Amino acid sequence: MSEYAIGVFTNIGLISFIALSAYLLLIAGEMSFGQQGFFGVGAYVAGVATAMYGIPLPVAALLAMAAGAAAAFLVGLPTLRLRGLYFAMATLAAAEMLRIVFELIHFQREVEGEPVGPDGTQGFRGIRWVFEAGIEPQDFLAIVWASLALALAMFVIVERSRLGATLRMLGEDPELARSLGIQVERFKLGIAAAAGALAGLGGALYAHHNTYIEPRNFDIMLGVHSLAYALIGGLGTVFGPLLGVLIDIGLLEGSRVFQGYRMIVFGGLVAVLLVFRPRGLLDERFVHRLRHRMFRQT
Amino acid sequence: MFFDLIQNTLDGLAMGSSYALLAVGFTLIFGVLRRVNLSYGPAIMFGGYCATWVHLNFQAGLLALAIITIAGAVLAGAYVERLCFAPHRQGSAIAAMVASFALWMQFEEAVTLVMPSHVYDFPAMYDGPPFEFGSLTLRMEALVMLACAVAISYGLHRVLSGSRFGLAVRAVIDSPVAAQLAGIDVPRVLLQVFLLASSIGGLAGYLIVSTHTQITPMLGMWSTLKGLLAMMIGGLGSLPGAVAGGLVLGVLEAHSQWFLGPQSRDLLAFLLLFGLLAVRPYGLWRASSAEAEA
Amino acid sequence: MTRKDHPLLEVSELVTAYGKIEALKGVNLSVEQGSITCLLGPNGAGKTTLMMTTAGILKPRGGSIRFAGTEIAGRAPHAIVAQGVALVPENRLVFPAMTVIDNLQAGAYQRRDRVETGADLERMFARFPRLKERSAQLAGTLSGGEQQMLAVARALMSRPKLLLMDEPSLGLAPLVVEEIFRIIADLHMDGATIFLVEQNAHMALKVAQHFYLMEQGKVTFSGTPGAMAEDEVIRRAYLGSAKA
Repeated sequence: MSEYAIGVFTNIGLISFIALSAYLLLIAGEMSFGQQGFFGVGAYVAGVATAMYGIPLPVAALLAMAAGAAAAFLVGLPTLRLRGLYFAMATLAAAEMLRIVFELIHFQREVEGEPVGPDGTQGFRGIRWVFEAGIEPQDFLAIVWASLALALAMFVIVERSRLGATLRMLGEDPELARSLGIQVERFKLGIAAAAGALAGLGGALYAHHNTYIEPRNFDIMLGVHSLAYALIGGLGTVFGPLLGVLIDIGLLEGSRVFQGYRMIVFGGLVAVLLVFRPRGLLDERFVHRLRHRMFRQT
Repeated sequence: MFFDLIQNTLDGLAMGSSYALLAVGFTLIFGVLRRVNLSYGPAIMFGGYCATWVHLNFQAGLLALAIITIAGAVLAGAYVERLCFAPHRQGSAIAAMVASFALWMQFEEAVTLVMPSHVYDFPAMYDGPPFEFGSLTLRMEALVMLACAVAISYGLHRVLSGSRFGLAVRAVIDSPVAAQLAGIDVPRVLLQVFLLASSIGGLAGYLIVSTHTQITPMLGMWSTLKGLLAMMIGGLGSLPGAVAGGLVLGVLEAHSQWFLGPQSRDLLAFLLLFGLLAVRPYGLWRASSAEAEA
Repeated sequence: MTRKDHPLLEVSELVTAYGKIEALKGVNLSVEQGSITCLLGPNGAGKTTLMMTTAGILKPRGGSIRFAGTEIAGRAPHAIVAQGVALVPENRLVFPAMTVIDNLQAGAYQRRDRVETGADLERMFARFPRLKERSAQLAGTLSGGEQQMLAVARALMSRPKLLLMDEPSLGLAPLVVEEIFRIIADLHMDGATIFLVEQNAHMALKVAQHFYLMEQGKVTFSGTPGAMAEDEVIRRAYLGSAKA
């Protein structure tokens, strides 16, 4: 595989984490414009852990997940009872606050004679754990996709369980869920924290892939892209968001056919698709039909 | 110290009047559609770049530039309405919001494709020195902005309370179904309101870029956020609230910038938005009601 | 243009659905010029759906609605108002944050004849003196009965050839209900054609010339008040001991 292809596929994997994070909230009926904030929290926490304190990446990634979950929990606490647009705006505000906080953080320490750590708008350089551990790009690609496969497997298991049914019911009919004795607010907080952990993990890997992060990486563009990925890919299955990422990064960016026009093409695609398939290509109906067909053949 | 406070307040009111104009446009759209148009600012930015392009390639007067900015914003607004809001009128507010963001990306890339160096000079409205009152200074642009904010708000108030179009707009805001039953062509009124709001936004955009004497693609996000924030402070869907919200936001920002610096100013603004949503989702002055559909 | 032997409103094989669920499953009925026609039926039978489809708020899936010889099924609500059909909707749906007078003006939105509109406004105030007293008040502050009168007056402001009324007595006190029906009778005396959905069969019997019964999305009975009173099933269901 060429170096370029490795880069594209690694990116697809990394961005899929935040797309999945947005998807998890979407199927529970909440639209967050702020998952990029938790992605950023994960990136910064993991970067600080490995580059400044020499903690190995697996541990740092767990720390990043915990930090992402905690941040999402704190943001969710006062906002999850808000409806639709209000929740969307509140999460957007929270993520922008986090981004500005990244701009304000100057926290460095000497590592091998050089100052390392987040330096405000100058960003955070030298997150070189992967390089120093002698991990080749294709190995890192495998690490990213293995982690992603793990996350996807968990999604598939959850979606087939009663938990998954509850999740979808929450999105489709919260009143019904409430009448069945489900503690909607508490449940949603749990989902928000899980989505935060997922974004945090993605951020941790993202920081170590790029070795350099800056607050701008985690602006609203990333957040809405992740939403768009889930929405165009489809809300019927966990592979929907992946399809969305694949279309944008794989097809549009990766193929370089639309170089210079990619945003125009992607933006138009999203807008037009939302008119005809407001719940994406792989929406619930499509997935249902597909399952039905496969079931009949076997 | 005392003069600093007054000077900051004056500067804040000037900036706040541009926020007020942005918020009035935002509020009009939110009021009739109950939808958030994220592309509101990018459409304004598009208008601003149209004017910049004309300015760079032809000799155009200030008035012509203002008109081109407004026309560009209206054109972009029409595109947004047709593609993002008309098709989702009965559907999901969230789908409309994401679609409007998708068009935002289009505007931003279209602008940078034609004008690749991002930052461009924009002719100032007025070259002379600022007015001085003792140790206080007031720029000409600030006065124009304030005058425009007052004139537009008053004019809009007159149109809404006294014209046939205004009657239709109020009816649609109050109850879209009843408005249809009364024989009002609701989709058409929505498009008209959208264009009106875009033109007010375009005017605000012109005033802002000619005050800053430069334009960057950031104007898009900036205008959307300021308009949204001022609207939230003022109470969703209330026009006098939007004006007040804009002024409050401007003064607050001027003081926090002075005391805390630009990053903390933005942090404070978002904190305010977040806090308002968490505590009083219907704005500072509105007790309750105004149920917004998801 | 309207031939005398054609009914003013003619609904045939009308189907309206919410997703997969058909609320109207091929409805046939007609309303004669100058009549009061009443549609009875249990909750959920599709009466309101029929009204909303006729007014253009809901789009039919199939069938036709001919008004004065013109097909109006599926057209935009404002175009249907322009044809001369006005609906007084269920639960009134006034504009709560607008004044009474603005509500009435909104009803006359399509009319460009300002002088005549002003005269009609005075006529409404003469017919509904309570509305005149409260003309500057916000409609949301009116009582239920007053809101109902406002909704009727707003519909009349468009000078409709056909007035559709969806349960005008719903949730109102008996005295107010009587007043509403007095107004309906008055309007009829003045030559109006009214198509009325009503649960209160006793009141409807006093004013209507023709009855339809709708059940589960279909018309199951059509006849005069006399025929209706003779039908054993209907009598028990709608005129029985519930309220004498």
